[in-house]
Amino acid sequence: MREAATLDVPLVELVDRLLNRGVVLTGELTISVAGVDLVYLGLSVVLSSVETIRGAGAEI
Amino acid sequence: MTFLLRAIVATDDAEVAAELGLTVVPATAVAALASPWDATGAAGEAELLDHHRVIQAIFGRVPCLPARFGSVFADVDALRARLGLREDVLASQLARLGHRCELAITCAWRDSGVIAPATNVPAQSGRAYLERGVARARTQKERQHRADEIVARLLGQLAVEPAFVRHRTCPRPAVAVSMSALVTRDAIDEINSRLERLGAQLPDVTTVVQGPWAPYTFAVSE
Repeated sequence: MREAATLDVPLVELVDRLLNRGVVLTGELTISVAGVDLVYLGLSVVLSSVETIRGAGAEI
Repeated sequence: MTFLLRAIVATDDAEVAAELGLTVVPATAVAALASPWDATGAAGEAELLDHHRVIQAIFGRVPCLPARFGSVFADVDALRARLGLREDVLASQLARLGHRCELAITCAWRDSGVIAPATNVPAQSGRAYLERGVARARTQKERQHRADEIVARLLGQLAVEPAFVRHRTCPRPAVAVSMSALVTRDAIDEINSRLERLGAQLPDVTTVVQGPWAPYTFAVSE
């Protein structure tokens, strides 16, 4: 059922789940994806959306 | 050394960590599986996809709750302390979800260019500007209506109880429906067959089914 015209769609769907779904145990350190910080010390987890990452220039 | 949380498993299943080179941080009923992580470096697509591969390797062996990417802890004590605060909720979720798989169903518009992106090119006249806006709004409304129809047909084919389905319509310009279904492993082949038949009946979208994955969409906490 896959077609070349929508090849990027499956990857975006996966990345969306990796960044926005799943169990969260608030960490204590900062991690960033493509320069966008995900977790900030002392705060709740702040997660970037796929659109944000794309806006930052990552090829996903 | 800092650690990146990968997944939550039952304590009795934590021995899978040795096979996968992961660190076990046990509580009473559940255990966290984590990897050493260089907190000074930035992550990218490779690290995201590696996170998925690790989770899938765990999920292929034992029931688990996948961790959202990005939970990094200063050491195992910090992770253990945080795990202890949420152990009851996590154990309950694991019992309810851990043995089920997530199927990601995406229906992408075949003519994704129909709705032109907003443009800064000035219209020839005020009337032309308004007509352009009206046309965009009409197309978006039609697409929303069509996406709702597709959702209804997908739900009919899935025949999964409502608590085990999540969906969004038109989440991005190219996508009509993004749906997650939580299913048992023995139902996957039958569901895939039904979705493939349905996909052939939906000429305006390309239907992509991914999975089985660990239950990302349904394992949300805190």
